[in-house]
Amino acid sequence: MPTINIDGKDFHAETGETILEAARRNGFWIPTLCHHPALSEQASCRLCLVELDRGGWSQMVTSCCYPIRRDIKVRINSEAAVSARRGVMELLLARCPESPELRELARKMNVEGTPYPKVTEAQRNCVLCGLCVRVCAERIGRSAIGFAGRGVNRSVAAPFRMPSKDCIGCGACAAVCPVGTIKLRIHETEIEVSPFKSRMAIRRCSACGAPMSGEPHMKQLEEKTPAAKEYVGLCPDCRRKKSAAAFVPVGSKPVVPR
Amino acid sequence: MSGSGAVTGGGKDIVGEILDRYGRQKGMLIPMMQDLQKERGYLPREDLVDLAERLGVPLSQVYHVATFYASFSLAPRGRHNITLCVGTVCYLKGAGAIADAIRKEFEVQPGGTSPDHMFTFSPVNCVGACALAPVMVVDDKYYGGMTVETALKTLRDIAAGTPADNKAAG
Repeated sequence: MPTINIDGKDFHAETGETILEAARRNGFWIPTLCHHPALSEQASCRLCLVELDRGGWSQMVTSCCYPIRRDIKVRINSEAAVSARRGVMELLLARCPESPELRELARKMNVEGTPYPKVTEAQRNCVLCGLCVRVCAERIGRSAIGFAGRGVNRSVAAPFRMPSKDCIGCGACAAVCPVGTIKLRIHETEIEVSPFKSRMAIRRCSACGAPMSGEPHMKQLEEKTPAAKEYVGLCPDCRRKKSAAAFVPVGSKPVVPR
Repeated sequence: MSGSGAVTGGGKDIVGEILDRYGRQKGMLIPMMQDLQKERGYLPREDLVDLAERLGVPLSQVYHVATFYASFSLAPRGRHNITLCVGTVCYLKGAGAIADAIRKEFEVQPGGTSPDHMFTFSPVNCVGACALAPVMVVDDKYYGGMTVETALKTLRDIAAGTPADNKAAG
């Protein structure tokens, strides 16, 4: 079992676990944007940089994807590591000046603002972390969105920047977006995944009528979970009520929780 | 949707042929797209949709590749490709004036295609033939020592279907 020395203290680590995992398990905080425990690592945001001691020299590594294979020594809060992460955050702030989520993270890192000029409208509000692209491919299995362009023109888009046929309106991309740029908009009869322009019929809870998700997404859920079919069409609240009702003996008085 | 792109190529199933050429292997996506561009002159949207579907690769990934590489074009290109070197040497020897002349004569913006679909014009930073400066490449053929007059004449001849001899030969 390798040992990881973080900021002068030794900790046990599992072979193969990442610096980020070992650090978080032992109470250290490292900011991240493109990391999500349910998805593969891409190391695109560069916000989790830590200083790896190489004996005589040191190197900045992304802690989210650096596996611990032998005894290593890292510094999370050294001057070099903090200033490397600060530099990255300043660049990200220039890309995403309006995101409250990003500003909150910056505040936590003691970064007040950015000395860099704001980017153009087309590149605005996306840090290109790729979480939405990965969740759509790896967890939903649709790959409705992907990266497009390269260099300064890189962006996340649906094919041909048109509403994607592959989108099922599940909203996973909106749920993982760390800067709040992707949003699910609920219209009267339709659900819209913004800014990808895909729109589809909305499914409402069959009991109370609360908006739930896109129709294609609900159909996929029904197909995948035939055993729980009568539950799938219900919103979380109504689902809970239905399960609870099943436990109440017939004829007994319902207990009202206080 | 499958096979819909096949109809546009005068009845020929170009996408199907290209797929067979590479044994329908997903890893051969880029060579397939290169062949498609060679056959069609650009990458038509319906062909890419068709290719993605029949190869079993997400369309978003095909679009990613198509927009990543500068050599792929999603818009129709002209019949002839003009690549004009505007690198340091060529520029000093007058490539800037040649670029202006081409732009005016054929009404084509850098990176764009002329209204009559004859030429696609791409100024590039260096073609690695500084000894021939200023150098112009038309459909993979090199024309060296260009002036505004010879460049325009060469292009007019090509447009008229009588390409001049390769001046850069030797």
